[in-house]
Amino acid sequence: MAYPVSRTYRMAQAALLAVLVALAPLPHASAQQAKPAAREESPTEKLWNEAEKLLAEKKYEAALANFKKLEEQADKAGLSTEAKAAIVFRQASCLYLLAGRSKASADWAKLEQALTRFLTTYPGGTGALLDANNNMRGAARLTLIEAYGNQSKWDEALRDLETLRRPSPETREEDRVLAFVLTAKVLELRAKGRSPEELKQALGQAMNLLKSVISQGIGTPERREAANKLVEVYTALGMAKDAEQLRAEIEAKGVGSPAELVRANVQRLEIGDARFQAAEGQTDPKAREELYRQALGSYQGTLRRAALSRALTAAVESRQQEIDRLNRAFTTPDDAQKAQIEAAKAQYDEVARIQTEFSANKFYDAIISYRIGLCLLELNRPWEAFVAFRDIFQSNPDFDKISGAYYYYIDALRRIGRNEEALKVSKEFLGKFPESPEAGPIALGLGEICMEQEEYDQAIEQFNWAKTNVKGLDAGSLQEIDFGIIRALFSNVEWAKARTALEAFLQKYPTSPAKESATYMLGLTWFYEGKYPETVGNKDKPGALTTYFKDFPKGQHASDVLYRLGVVSLNIGTDTLYAQGVIESDQRGPDGALAIARLWLNRYGEAKDETTRIQLPEVHTLIGDAHIKKGDVAGRQAEDLDKQARMTAAPAAKAALMNKKREAEAVKEEQVKLAIAAYIQAARTARQNNAALEFALGEATKLLSGRGDHLRLRELYQELHDWDPSAPKATVYLYEVIKATEKMGDSPEFRIRVERAQSEFGNRLATARKRIDTLEREGKFNTPELTTAKSELAQLSEELAKALAVIEAERQTAIQAARQEALGVLAKAIGTSINDRRQEGSERLISFLCEKLARRIKRVRPGQEPVPGAYNLKQAEADLETTLGVTESSGSLIAQARLYFARSQLALLGREPARAEAMLRRIADLYKPEELSPAILGTVGDFLLSKRDPRAESFFAYITEHHRSSDYADFGFAGLAELRLAQGKPREALVLCEEALALGIALSKEKDIRFAQARAQVELGQLDEARKAFTFISGVREWRGESTSGCLYHLGIIEEKQGKLQEALVLHQRNIVAWKKHERWVAKSYLAAGEILVKLGQRDAARTNYQEMLTKDRVKETPEAQEARSRLTRL
Amino acid sequence: MRHALTLCLLITAAFAPAQVLVFRNNERWEVNNPLALDDKGKPVPNDPRKAKFNAAFDRVERNTRTGGVEIAATKRLEEAVAIEWPAVSQLKEAREDIQRGKATRALELTESVLRIFDKAKKTPGSPWVTAAIVKLDAIDRLDNDAALASFLTTLEAVDDGSNLELKQKIQLAKLLQKARRGDHAGVIADADALLTTLDNADTLARLHILKGASQHALKRYEDAMNTYLRVPVFYGSQQEHMPKALLGAAKAFRGMDSPALKSQKLGEVANRYLRELVAGFPLSVEAEEAKSLLPKEDREAAAAEQGAIKDAVVAPESDLATPAPSNEPAATTPTEE
Repeated sequence: MAYPVSRTYRMAQAALLAVLVALAPLPHASAQQAKPAAREESPTEKLWNEAEKLLAEKKYEAALANFKKLEEQADKAGLSTEAKAAIVFRQASCLYLLAGRSKASADWAKLEQALTRFLTTYPGGTGALLDANNNMRGAARLTLIEAYGNQSKWDEALRDLETLRRPSPETREEDRVLAFVLTAKVLELRAKGRSPEELKQALGQAMNLLKSVISQGIGTPERREAANKLVEVYTALGMAKDAEQLRAEIEAKGVGSPAELVRANVQRLEIGDARFQAAEGQTDPKAREELYRQALGSYQGTLRRAALSRALTAAVESRQQEIDRLNRAFTTPDDAQKAQIEAAKAQYDEVARIQTEFSANKFYDAIISYRIGLCLLELNRPWEAFVAFRDIFQSNPDFDKISGAYYYYIDALRRIGRNEEALKVSKEFLGKFPESPEAGPIALGLGEICMEQEEYDQAIEQFNWAKTNVKGLDAGSLQEIDFGIIRALFSNVEWAKARTALEAFLQKYPTSPAKESATYMLGLTWFYEGKYPETVGNKDKPGALTTYFKDFPKGQHASDVLYRLGVVSLNIGTDTLYAQGVIESDQRGPDGALAIARLWLNRYGEAKDETTRIQLPEVHTLIGDAHIKKGDVAGRQAEDLDKQARMTAAPAAKAALMNKKREAEAVKEEQVKLAIAAYIQAARTARQNNAALEFALGEATKLLSGRGDHLRLRELYQELHDWDPSAPKATVYLYEVIKATEKMGDSPEFRIRVERAQSEFGNRLATARKRIDTLEREGKFNTPELTTAKSELAQLSEELAKALAVIEAERQTAIQAARQEALGVLAKAIGTSINDRRQEGSERLISFLCEKLARRIKRVRPGQEPVPGAYNLKQAEADLETTLGVTESSGSLIAQARLYFARSQLALLGREPARAEAMLRRIADLYKPEELSPAILGTVGDFLLSKRDPRAESFFAYITEHHRSSDYADFGFAGLAELRLAQGKPREALVLCEEALALGIALSKEKDIRFAQARAQVELGQLDEARKAFTFISGVREWRGESTSGCLYHLGIIEEKQGKLQEALVLHQRNIVAWKKHERWVAKSYLAAGEILVKLGQRDAARTNYQEMLTKDRVKETPEAQEARSRLTRL
Repeated sequence: MRHALTLCLLITAAFAPAQVLVFRNNERWEVNNPLALDDKGKPVPNDPRKAKFNAAFDRVERNTRTGGVEIAATKRLEEAVAIEWPAVSQLKEAREDIQRGKATRALELTESVLRIFDKAKKTPGSPWVTAAIVKLDAIDRLDNDAALASFLTTLEAVDDGSNLELKQKIQLAKLLQKARRGDHAGVIADADALLTTLDNADTLARLHILKGASQHALKRYEDAMNTYLRVPVFYGSQQEHMPKALLGAAKAFRGMDSPALKSQKLGEVANRYLRELVAGFPLSVEAEEAKSLLPKEDREAAAAEQGAIKDAVVAPESDLATPAPSNEPAATTPTEE
């Protein structure tokens, strides 16, 4: 079916600038041939017909020559004005068609001349000669504009267009509309290369013109063309919303022609691009996100290649069918029918051309995927971006932007945390495209991924690989790679290698932007090796650190360098630094390090940037170290003075030395106190500096514990714990808080009081003893005096004992109180996580609390009566409830469940398994799996499984569905596999085990999972695999026990199944002898051995086997024993 | 207010698109719509000026008055060369019901359409094909293998290759049967082959969901994730399929999760997709499943969010009566942004 479109429009569709001269019905070769010779042709007619034939045969040069000849003969032949006009018009047509053929054959100036001549000489145009309804003037005027355009004669073009746009009976409506479109195009072209402001202005003008056209609707193809142009203008102006709306309207009004389809898709892409571009320039994050979302919508709405190709193919086919139909229908066509056939052919050509052009764009799909991927990355949806880019590699590996796709794909991989894959893909990319512009950044990224993973050797390897294998790396990337290697060496603590590399780097890149960092790092390579003299050098040859200090006084590492110079001063003094002019005279001397530290605090103490703040604890540590050093000096002085005092006999001199010694000790004490304060300050400011925190905390703990100052120690650890109670380290800090709290009970005060009492009573006791000695020496035995003296001594001893007992009682009370307080601390910590199901550490803390309470329970041997008033499980449970502040009916569901869990743990520790089971059962009865934490799910699930309770399934299933990354994930898999085996579904059990092992889920339950897997394999007849698995399990020393017994039993079964009865018997007997206490498997081995013995014809031995089985204490209670009894009677 | 509404209804009725049966020589018969219901859900009385279907829906009868004489004419429905039938509201409703998990009701709605156009299955423009496709979806939701097999037989008899959409749906339904039989490897292989030949976004989205489900069943979680996510990535405009795709992707992420991949926070990623599903498609049947899969806390948050969305959707009557002035420019006269 032919389109309801004008001929003008059909041709205009072919190019963006109107192709108009060719609009006049062209002669067709077949038409010429078919034309009957009604009368003899005149020479002029003959020449015309020849020219027309040549034109139809696309021999434009020859046709042009003929038309020129014809024009020369026109007057002589007395041709009409219309005929003359037609000749000139045809000349213009030839010139236009030649211009369309190639750039070389284009002569726009001549075309301009021909058209101007046509328009000025023939106001009536071709009349009805070429087309009954078209005198070709409109077409000529539009083509003239195109000729102007191609010669950049914009003003002339616009002048003519203005005339053409005016309503006039001479200008057809469709030409007038197209004039608007052309004007918009010319305005845009004219503004190209000018300033953005001018371009915007031109686009604005174009927009207004086009809007005026479409205000009367977009019902005709020409108006839709105007609307399409307006969509482009809107898009160029960034008015994506308007563009989208108008595009939708065009689509609704369109006829769904292939040209419209392709164009609509291109527009969607362009609108998407405009939105993407607008998003890039948007500063408001919300607006930016919305724009990216809109761009994504535009790209997603674009039809894919397959859909477009199918539509185009169908269109080509339908047009071919139309031609065939017409040819069949009109065997001897008249002029109108011929025109119909020609029109159909023209439509076919046009659709075929669109199809060819579309097919040439082989990356169409990849372009869309690429843009979708970019939007998704910007929208922070890396998983979807990952899928989008992956599609390009799968569907369009030859995509011309494949290197860009790789770059963003690697970005997506890194964002989703797949660094290993990112590494692999980076290498793949660099191997494939070593010379692409993205090679540099990707090569660098390759090493950076390893650096992030702290795999420095690999990072060096990657950087070196990139250097060797990536061709055409730019100088910047090469330098970055060299520096990357240095960073890796440095991070890997390879100081000597890093030093050599840094020296080479500074020589190779003397003006590098990394020079400052390189100089700093070079200094650090000496510093970290403890080679302080080399770090600072000497007066003549300054070291790298002092060089940095002088060359980069405001550099990014200046604060760190100052701190390190303080450390150097502490170790080698300040003389060199002073000599080099690095420090002032007031920073010299033994307190130099402290002076430098104070200088640092003055300069950088209030700094807000993170890099500097991270150094703050190190500076405090330096202060602590400096005080310790000073304290050590004072301590050594005190020791020397003490030695001297001992050697001195003269009391006055001795007393003087002792005084000095005390002064030195006081200095030491003062310094230690200052050091402690500094270390505490260091630890408190070291939240972001783990190394400094570890060191300062260690020093502070050592000093405070030594001095029995548990209160300060507790305060310090409490503060660290409170930074982030859910951090992994917080548990360690909490244990320290509890330890310190408990120790606080046994305070040094009691020791001092004891010493004081002993000293006080000691003098009086000594006096009393002395008196007794004197009386005895005087021989006053059995005298009342001696009796009284002895009695006084005994009384004094008694008083001392009483005084000490009071102190001890107070001490014990304090210790108990401290323990109680410690429990409170622990309970408080549990309280912060007890209501959060996802805090896996909560159960660990609860178990710790239970251990502490269980230690107080007075154990009673079976059969004995508990001591009245002794601490028992009931009291422990009550304390537990009080400590946790949770009851069975208060708090969150998970908190209640954790209370039951705690009770079960307490009961287990208190050796009351029945109570423990009752508590676990309560959990199963009262709570849904989704209300429990992974640890409780696993524990309760295991308990239910052991009791063959079908509810175990839901507990395990919840773990496998919701807590796969939990440390208790393997409980779910192991439990479900066990259940499946019990249900006689070994295949399902095997799938579960294999999944757990493949995903690396098997942790503490690895043994159980492997054991279940092997058993499933036996059930499925995979005996060789099962044998391997059982052998592996029984070979792991840590797993020795019940599973080893189970392995031996199953290995015996495998041998038996393979007909090796003797080997099987040996294995069962080994199991019976070696693993007596695991009656579950031993009983099975007894039965299996008995059966084998019968098969071997050894019925007596079999009978003995069963009899022995039934004498074994644990075995005779098993279900297998019943079977043994039955077999025995049969034997 | 009442007057305005009545007027509006009258205008709507006056411009309601007509149902036309086209016979040979472009003879056009406007027919009464047997599916039309009034606002009380009762059949709309027939317009005597239009033709009407007989009880068996195999013929249409029309009375015309020429020169004061009434002439009755009858034609067989099979004779129609084309049917002009604007969108059938029952089918739209059925689609919505399927989305909401009310497959049985959807089935009832489609059956009436199928019955009416049974004699014009292949006639161009017949709503039968669309109804058949909707019915396939409904059966799929009902997990009724026997019904699916039986209906597929009917469809295959109808399929002469002329309706591409129908052909593709039959292929999809067969894949579905295969998946039900547990032949997941077969489904994946067939789906891969089909993917290269199809271009319809709706069918492609369905096919991806089917393939993803089979990959998930085979515990190929990573592959399943990749397949499911292709729906929101490349067929984001196919909103109808988003709930299934998001749910599938979330489940795949859950499957991929393990302690070794803890740093990828796949559980969190899965929950994010589930939350998006609950918030974005609150009425879908998948949203209900998503809620059950979400951890308790997230589920409560999602429910709260869902409530907020529902509240926002329900506009007060006053708003409906007097629409607020819009800043949106008219489609034909776009304004500067």
